[in-house]
Amino acid sequence: MKRYAFVGLGMVAGFAAAVMLFPAAQSAADNSAYKQLDLFGDAFERVRANYVRPVSETELVNAAIEGMVSSLDPHSSYMDAKAYADMKIQTKGEFAGVGIEVTMEDGLVKVISPIDDTPAAKAGIKPGDYIAAIDNTPVQGLSLGDAVDRMRGAPGTKIKLTVLRKGEKKPFDLSLTRAVVHVATVKFHPEGDVGYIRLTSFNQEAAPGIERAVKALQQQIGPNLKGYVLDLRNNPGGLLDQAVDISDDFLQGGTIVSTRGRHSDDNATYNAHGGDIADGKPVVVLINGGTASASEIVAGALQDDKRARIIGMQSFGKGSVQTIIPLSEGGGALRLTTARYFTPSGHSIQATGITPDIAVAQGDESAIKLAAQSEANLPGHLSGEAGGKKNTQIIKPAPGKKYDDFQLSYALDVLRGKMTVAFVKTAAATEE
Amino acid sequence: MKNRIPLMLAGAGAGFCLAATFLHFAYASPDTPSPYSELDRFGQAFAKVRADYVEPPDDKLLVENAIGGMLTNLDAHSSYFDPKTFADMTVKTEGEYGGVGIVIQSDKGTIKAVAVIDDAPAQKAGVKANDTILQIDGTPITGFKLDDVQKKMRGPSGTKVTLTVSRTGVKDPIDIKLVRAQVPVEPVTSKREGSVGYIKIPAFNDHTDSGLQAAVAKLKKEIGPGIKGYVIDLRDDGGGVLDQAIAVADDFLEGGEILSMRGRKPEDTERFDAHPGDIANGKPILVLINGGTASASEIVSGALQDHKRARIVGTTSFGKGSVQTIIPLNNGEDGALHMTTARYYTPSGRTIQAEGIVPDVVVSQGVDASDPYAEFDEREANLPHHLDAEGPKPAPEGKPIQPPAGQKFDDFQLSYAVSMLQGGPVMADADTQKPMKPGLKKGSN
Repeated sequence: MKRYAFVGLGMVAGFAAAVMLFPAAQSAADNSAYKQLDLFGDAFERVRANYVRPVSETELVNAAIEGMVSSLDPHSSYMDAKAYADMKIQTKGEFAGVGIEVTMEDGLVKVISPIDDTPAAKAGIKPGDYIAAIDNTPVQGLSLGDAVDRMRGAPGTKIKLTVLRKGEKKPFDLSLTRAVVHVATVKFHPEGDVGYIRLTSFNQEAAPGIERAVKALQQQIGPNLKGYVLDLRNNPGGLLDQAVDISDDFLQGGTIVSTRGRHSDDNATYNAHGGDIADGKPVVVLINGGTASASEIVAGALQDDKRARIIGMQSFGKGSVQTIIPLSEGGGALRLTTARYFTPSGHSIQATGITPDIAVAQGDESAIKLAAQSEANLPGHLSGEAGGKKNTQIIKPAPGKKYDDFQLSYALDVLRGKMTVAFVKTAAATEE
Repeated sequence: MKNRIPLMLAGAGAGFCLAATFLHFAYASPDTPSPYSELDRFGQAFAKVRADYVEPPDDKLLVENAIGGMLTNLDAHSSYFDPKTFADMTVKTEGEYGGVGIVIQSDKGTIKAVAVIDDAPAQKAGVKANDTILQIDGTPITGFKLDDVQKKMRGPSGTKVTLTVSRTGVKDPIDIKLVRAQVPVEPVTSKREGSVGYIKIPAFNDHTDSGLQAAVAKLKKEIGPGIKGYVIDLRDDGGGVLDQAIAVADDFLEGGEILSMRGRKPEDTERFDAHPGDIANGKPILVLINGGTASASEIVSGALQDHKRARIVGTTSFGKGSVQTIIPLNNGEDGALHMTTARYYTPSGRTIQAEGIVPDVVVSQGVDASDPYAEFDEREANLPHHLDAEGPKPAPEGKPIQPPAGQKFDDFQLSYAVSMLQGGPVMADADTQKPMKPGLKKGSN
């Protein structure tokens, strides 16, 4: 369940690396903890000494921590040192490299697309190009991960890529200088008089990206702008502060979200400040079963404040906050559930999700897929603390009608105040 | 390391025996790196979870899950028994348990029926080996631990349980309603096939050797001096108790090694030898095996094959050649480790692990045309992080003998084996051309 990313890197700020495990004055409970640690030490020792072949202690402890943490709930997990380093890159939304999205094909690295304004784009790398060698090391035989690692490096360093391109007889070399690459998570374009903005995840570039998109759309569409569609479908979430910032962008005040944990420092309320980047224009937020976590915070905040109408299908229902807790240097990190969050009206999103104001199905969902993809169906999920309503009727495209994206078409109709799509209403049997 | 009774089961779930043993444990010798820093790292993680998890966690549960994670990551057969499971096992090892009679295994988070026990509720209701169990009483179990799934399936006799299974080749999940019952430990059964004695060993439990001896005595009496030989059916026998496998092999062998178990240190190697005496009086024996023949069954097949006491007929076996030892923690109060401690080897030094036993005569049961996955390969070598083979690899199995086209057999492998022993005409498909001379040549074609 990797994709349901944590909400809240650095929420519990500054966990010092190694702390004294248990203070000198031992209570009965601490005695029990010591006893449990002894038990673990005993098991560890027996495996180390008697397993059929020698095993690495690091591997044993990694597996033990993973077993301990992942048994807590579906979102708590352990990241070993390498996974932790990768995660930091993902979250930051930037890394130093050449700036291409790649995949593996026939043992070669194939370029899906160069990212705008990166060394790769400037050097003329094109979608469909194959990378045959990196700094004269053939790519054949490398895993995709290894190849990507080789392309990454400190900004300013040089790299030589050997490229195969359709239509070119011979491979040719390109010399590039690595630079910091920003991973765009915001895409936008005008849909006639409506501004369409899609957010794919919440990394550190998310809120600034939304703000830039709104400005650009205002310029492109001009004064006739009817409103905005904020598409959060299949957005698995990310950083909490970005969700708060994006909600704040559209809200004039009031509560955005509150988190409640075991300790008072996990209890926090995030409030909106004055100002609305959309100048009060109507907003529709699109959600579906893949809308989770940080996305649900935004949808919930804009729904409770009636700032936006929520259209689509019931969201995933991940209302828990994971905090990244690094272990001592090189020891990886825990991704641990430390709090639940609540919408301004006090609803827990956990296991219930956000119920759209207008339930609109895309028309191609299967009943099984809908039932399977929900927090409440994950083994060991945390229970929610407040029940939520569910839609009783779902709007679907009329039989025989095909739409590229029925939910979006419906949302555009809502913003324009006229119905152009043909639809039927059906009982929400698929919700079961 | 004395007095241990290793467990050998391809899947968890069947009733099994256990042994209380203690392994010496010593700290690292000076030339190995200190384990303390890694243990400290665990302690750190434990302390942080205790302090910061959203709800106060149960210390004991945390450590149990840590030990479980450590063990299951080792290989496909190592696991941790929590105190309750361990206690349940101690009570219910011999005899019977209230359940449905499915041997299950976890495969990448999905729960699979490895075998279905004869005459148990699951078999009667139509559960089949290789079915994937999706739900128990409507609760999705994907991602659940094997232990938890087992707990859900078990219950007092007479109570009802509904399993939702998916089956290869069938589009929609199937709901199967069952009534739990006492599941007997599978007995040895026998029947006369003309002048041949047929004996089926479905599992190796504490009654297997005595059951086999009784079956041989009964068949001798029934068939009389004209008895041509025996077919020992080990197909879909997932294994069981090691000493029973040794006793069964010994029943037919006059001497020599039956198997060796080799652990990490050379001094841990244990050898088991046969004693004089052959309950079959030297009559020919054919052993039937297939992909469901695992562990203890493979020991018997391998020993009889290496000593040329029996010819092995069927398809290559599962390949579970590792030995798990149960190591109780704190006298069992803290559960027990169920851990791979050795590999076993046939008398000629072949490893069974991941390779299996290759039959002398490769005979296919024939593919059911309606089921494209009928011969789907479910083998040790395909399990996630299985233990690798060591030593020389056996020759791959040859092209199998198939049932003649257009003819239907209830059990072609058995029919073929019986014909081999009786010296009658042996049927084979057009592709094989020459009919086999019974019991003489290798079954290559």
